[in-house]
Amino acid sequence: MKARKILAASLVLLLIMAMLAGCSNQSNQPQEQQNQGAQESQSGEKLKIGLVFDVGGRGDLSFNDSAYAGLERAAKDFADKIEVDYKEPSEGGQDREQLLRLLAENGFDLIFGVGFLFTEHIQKVAQEFPDVKFALIDGAIDGLDENSNIACLLFKEHEGSFLVGAAAAMKSKTGKIGFVGGMKTPIIERFEVGYMAGAKYIDPKITVYSDYIGTTGDAFKDPVTGKELALKQFKAGADVVYHASGASGVGVIEAATLEKKFAIGVDSDQSLTVDPSQRPYILTSMVKAVDVAVYETIKSLVEGNFKGGYRIFGLAENGVGYAVNDYNKDMISDIQPKLEELKQKIINGEIKVPMDKKEYEEFEKSLNK
Amino acid sequence: MKKRYYIVMLRILAPVLAIVLSALISSAVILAIGKSPLQVFYTIFKFSLSRLDSIAIILYNATPLIFSGLAVSIGFRMGLFNIGVEGQYLIGAFFAALAGFAIKGLPVFVHLPLVILCGALGGMLWSFIPIYLKVKRGVHEVISTIMLNYISYSLIHYLIADVFLDRSQKLVEGLGGILTRTPKLPPSALMPKLHVFLGLFGIQLPRHVYLNWFFPLGLLMAYLIYYLLMHTPFGFEIRSVGQNPEAARTAGIKPERVYMAGFLLSGAVAGLVGLSDLLSYFGYMDLDFPRNYGFDGIAVALIGQNNPLGIVLSAILFGFLKRGAEGIQTQLNVPMDTIVILQAVMIMSIVVITKVMNDYIKRLERKESVICSSQNSSLPA
Repeated sequence: MKARKILAASLVLLLIMAMLAGCSNQSNQPQEQQNQGAQESQSGEKLKIGLVFDVGGRGDLSFNDSAYAGLERAAKDFADKIEVDYKEPSEGGQDREQLLRLLAENGFDLIFGVGFLFTEHIQKVAQEFPDVKFALIDGAIDGLDENSNIACLLFKEHEGSFLVGAAAAMKSKTGKIGFVGGMKTPIIERFEVGYMAGAKYIDPKITVYSDYIGTTGDAFKDPVTGKELALKQFKAGADVVYHASGASGVGVIEAATLEKKFAIGVDSDQSLTVDPSQRPYILTSMVKAVDVAVYETIKSLVEGNFKGGYRIFGLAENGVGYAVNDYNKDMISDIQPKLEELKQKIINGEIKVPMDKKEYEEFEKSLNK
Repeated sequence: MKKRYYIVMLRILAPVLAIVLSALISSAVILAIGKSPLQVFYTIFKFSLSRLDSIAIILYNATPLIFSGLAVSIGFRMGLFNIGVEGQYLIGAFFAALAGFAIKGLPVFVHLPLVILCGALGGMLWSFIPIYLKVKRGVHEVISTIMLNYISYSLIHYLIADVFLDRSQKLVEGLGGILTRTPKLPPSALMPKLHVFLGLFGIQLPRHVYLNWFFPLGLLMAYLIYYLLMHTPFGFEIRSVGQNPEAARTAGIKPERVYMAGFLLSGAVAGLVGLSDLLSYFGYMDLDFPRNYGFDGIAVALIGQNNPLGIVLSAILFGFLKRGAEGIQTQLNVPMDTIVILQAVMIMSIVVITKVMNDYIKRLERKESVICSSQNSSLPA
């Protein structure tokens, strides 16, 4: 009998709560509907730009945020011509393709896929929506040309990594430096070999410790492991650690702060986004101008000269480089002339930065001669 | 007699109550992010049920979970907790992929069944280790299967990224990233979609829907497992061991033998979990291959109360929630994290409410049977 009473009482309670919830909604609804109506009436004229994030999503203070910065800047500069929207795929990113498709269905004109994991998905969706433009960051799709509705935005990460590797070697007192990678993939290995090559170019005897956080996309959002690996490298004697691990790098920077050693940021200028107390411990960042790539692509669409195919951003195009800001300019002023010299040599082709382990071995041999 | 109706009514009411409760808790979450709950629920239902592609995608989403829920439930029926479905399906999918891309030139009616068989074999192999350890050495299956899940993650990564990486993928001037994936499977290894079949009934599915023959296969599997459990001697043995292994032993059943055979069966079903995605959507196995179907399967089996029909229905519910999430994300800009919370709240309310209601119903039934037996002075059936 008692159980029945409790049941009855809870049912009544549920009903009351339902009514309350219902009431509070009614007050909200007309307003939201108005908002929606307003958006729809404008969308007739404006270009709609969508962006789907990579693993880690917004707030990684790195790769995704850099893409978002480009989107935001374009939204501000072309406020009267475009409207923008972004989506985050679910854990594991299985619904990437669905999100791309739903954006395309909803009349978006240009859709970005942030990260090479979108390679297959963009290919499939782009075929179904020939009138919608797609931009793929970091991924290479074979056989595109100017008339394709896909643009691949590619970066020479190894060139930028070479410079920060050289910076690390010049700043290291112990002759030992470290690298923490996110997920072990060819693209992150390119960061690694570029960095090692730059360091060895300055000091052929230098020791470079190298660790990867993991084997899945989660490796880009695991600051705890990032911190552990960096601490391990610092304990082993490294005094500069470079990370290419997305949101996990937050842990690497924490480790450097804790040990009062240097970290090198990646993708965006991380000195600007970290806690002020951590700034003295960020030597520089390998800037991969994803924001510039996103912005330029949107700009080309707005100006009516969007081109499919491949756009490559290297040192020469200012697509990659090392960061100089108010916080680190005193730290690196002494090595900057050398870095600029190296940069010129890379642009001239005097130094050919290796792109994979095999080229790196040849590069190392050529140094020892 | 009146009580009977009351019980039947309660049984029907339980899921309804669960949905109401979860809707209420979710409303609080939705209000907290400044959206209107009514609008969110309306969008979930409209987006999921008013579009043909959504309905087909819900069934596609449900397909792996049907297999996964069934695999977990076979364990539960024996009183074993197979958390290892996760690892078993990844290994199964890899075996299937290997049989797919390594063998060429077979006709589809030989190649496809072979690939599916290899998937089941892979899952079975991965379930053999924990059950062997349990039967022979008394290692608890929960610990060994969890550890084997971790091993399977790393093993799959090694196999895909190092041993079987498709190195024929092209880079543009060496730039960009290639997918860490196996070579693509030839068409003879792929599962046909349901489009042609449904077309016969005048249902034209859009091209981007990947609903395939694994869905009907899942339904068939649910029926077969129901039949096995309820209408065969082996099924009876499984249920007896699950209820009381020592009593079963006294009755002449060897629990070890039942554990071994039942767990291998569970592993074989688990090996099929990933195949719907592998053989219709991806066509290759990569590091981005869907994860967590094994763990979701535990929730599916629990909500479905280890009943094959219940598992099919709860798998469809999960598929519905996933599709609804895509809808509110694209149409209402509800952030992904909120959606994950909403899904968890719904699942939890269902588990809690069904548990409470079932206990209540059981108590009523017991009371009723006491009354009956005292009236008729005979035991109820």
